[in-house]
Amino acid sequence: MNRESIRVGFVGFGRMGITHYSILNNHPNVNIVAVCDASKMMLRVLGKYVDVATYTDFREMIDSDKLDAIVVSTPASSHAEIVRVGLDRGLHTFVEKPFTLTAADSREIVDRLDGQHVVNQVGYVNRFNEVFDEARRLLQLGVIGDVRRFRSEMYGATVTKDSKSSWRSKQAQGGGCMYEFASHCIDLAVYLFGEPVGVSGSTLQSIYSSTVEDVVSSNLEYGNGCLGEIAVNWSDMSYRKPANVVTAIGKDGKLIADRYVLKLFLRHARPDLGFHEGWNTKYITDIAKPVRVYVRGNEFTNQLDDFVAAIADGRATTRCSFADAAIVDRIMEQIREDAAGEGVGARANEVSVRPATTRSWISRLLGAGRLDRA
Amino acid sequence: MLDTVILGDNQFFGINHMSPEKAQALDERFRDIGAITDVIDTAYRCGVRGFMLNTNERAGEICDYLRENSARYPDLSMYPSMPYAHKYANAVAEKGIFGALREFILAGSSAGDLGGLIAKGGASLFEQDMLKVMQILVDIEMQIFRDLNVKVVFLQNIVTDLLLGYGVKDIFAGFAGYIRDKYGAEPGFVTMNMPALVPFLRDCGIENPVVCSSINPAGYFMNPSIAAYEDALRDGGFQPMAMSILASGAVGPREAVEYVCGRNGVRSVVFGASSEKHIVETKELIESYATAA
Repeated sequence: MNRESIRVGFVGFGRMGITHYSILNNHPNVNIVAVCDASKMMLRVLGKYVDVATYTDFREMIDSDKLDAIVVSTPASSHAEIVRVGLDRGLHTFVEKPFTLTAADSREIVDRLDGQHVVNQVGYVNRFNEVFDEARRLLQLGVIGDVRRFRSEMYGATVTKDSKSSWRSKQAQGGGCMYEFASHCIDLAVYLFGEPVGVSGSTLQSIYSSTVEDVVSSNLEYGNGCLGEIAVNWSDMSYRKPANVVTAIGKDGKLIADRYVLKLFLRHARPDLGFHEGWNTKYITDIAKPVRVYVRGNEFTNQLDDFVAAIADGRATTRCSFADAAIVDRIMEQIREDAAGEGVGARANEVSVRPATTRSWISRLLGAGRLDRA
Repeated sequence: MLDTVILGDNQFFGINHMSPEKAQALDERFRDIGAITDVIDTAYRCGVRGFMLNTNERAGEICDYLRENSARYPDLSMYPSMPYAHKYANAVAEKGIFGALREFILAGSSAGDLGGLIAKGGASLFEQDMLKVMQILVDIEMQIFRDLNVKVVFLQNIVTDLLLGYGVKDIFAGFAGYIRDKYGAEPGFVTMNMPALVPFLRDCGIENPVVCSSINPAGYFMNPSIAAYEDALRDGGFQPMAMSILASGAVGPREAVEYVCGRNGVRSVVFGASSEKHIVETKELIESYATAA
């Protein structure tokens, strides 16, 4: 084994852990040395076919195997505890979304990172989709001018009956449409448009589930005349697969993006970027580059390769850091409070806003004007 | 000998990534099984003899029709692709992989099929013999195709590429051997990583496997690079089958066919079409280049 290779341990070996393992296993800089999971059967089957140490206790794994990094794909309720232990040992950490289940936990972990050179990343995979990333680039270039209004939507047919026994119906375990779906939708909004100062008009609604929400809607307020809508429904049976769509209205045009297609309507042609006046369409086939290995989509490979490259290159920043994901956790909490009528609106939160990593360009993009609300 | 032109099935199941509107229109158009079998009829009349079918919810209905009307399709060859992983993704997320597999096995088998294996709690089977699990899963899905002429049985790309990452040779070799021995068909593998898969299959000891992968001049779904695909095709040692030749519309039909048929060894193309005009045009185009090559 390459002396330079990064020794990785997996915590959690469900659907995402299994996928991440497959993607990382043949990475030239990675040596997967250990896997931890609650299922002994899973570990015994895995141990028969691949050469890794197996554990049921993540602390034991971290203490026993000299790891450089961990990939955490456990239920979200355990993320905070595992990530803290990993950070105490200085381990580079990739953790699945949502980051943690409380804004306070996420904030505390981000504060703990301060000054520590540890690569940290959360699995908001849409940031690594080529179309959404192209949308971000074009927004930063000001192609549609100042964004005044946007909508970030996510729909899917994940829950079409009340299944009380599933973890999906238990909020304390990370279930519910908010953690599963809205988190993606909010993160994409933050990635493309920056961090909002507050939320308003939030609703949580059930269609099938008796213990968690199936529909989430909210307005993200930016304090400069820009408003964003979040519209999420994981009980829309017309969808074959979960789908995200982002629509943005700027003063000079409109942008619509999903995972496959980007459409632009422009007031003025941008020959420098290859766009004419009116409608323009870019497909993923025009934008995407091949990946090292394809397992579930380019974005899943690109996000882990970014994590590994950050470790190898000695840079602490990734495209989706703990700090980025902590913003999502804060917004989710605000939406819950807002929906419950606890009066947490935009103004109440302006004082507690932390700078977004995307703040510099977004403030440029959105202009310096103050909120002129009624 | 693989069929030169094979009709694919994505269009029948409302799959169109580039346009939700087109996907919806396809879904509506093919709601009735009759609309699907009409297209199969048309393709057969036009001389298409191969049909690739994923083992999704509607595959059973289609195969029932083909069996009932077998006299009309004396030379039809089926190219099943399994498992229909999309359907089980949700179950895996909720119940874990073994929970989902156990449910699937129990639902798809009669008690007699399984003997004592599952009765002992199911858990033991996965630990004792994953090859047996694989065989049971293959048998369940192959039930759909009983009494039809099956030429190649494909392992679908999500599973092929996931398992490729683990490098577990036993499962690949076991699949290939089982398909050849039990079903008298060729083992096939659909992949998005053809240049990595081909040498791996060779290491598994699988001789001359059928490997179905995207092959198009746009390089779409060709990982890690179009150059690696061209090298692998030049080196040979497998039976390449091309899919996504139009790269989801990024490439015109003539350019696509010219590129694919110009690659060493590619003599078989899977394509999706639903109109007679499109079927005839595509078939003639492929055959004109394939014959010339």
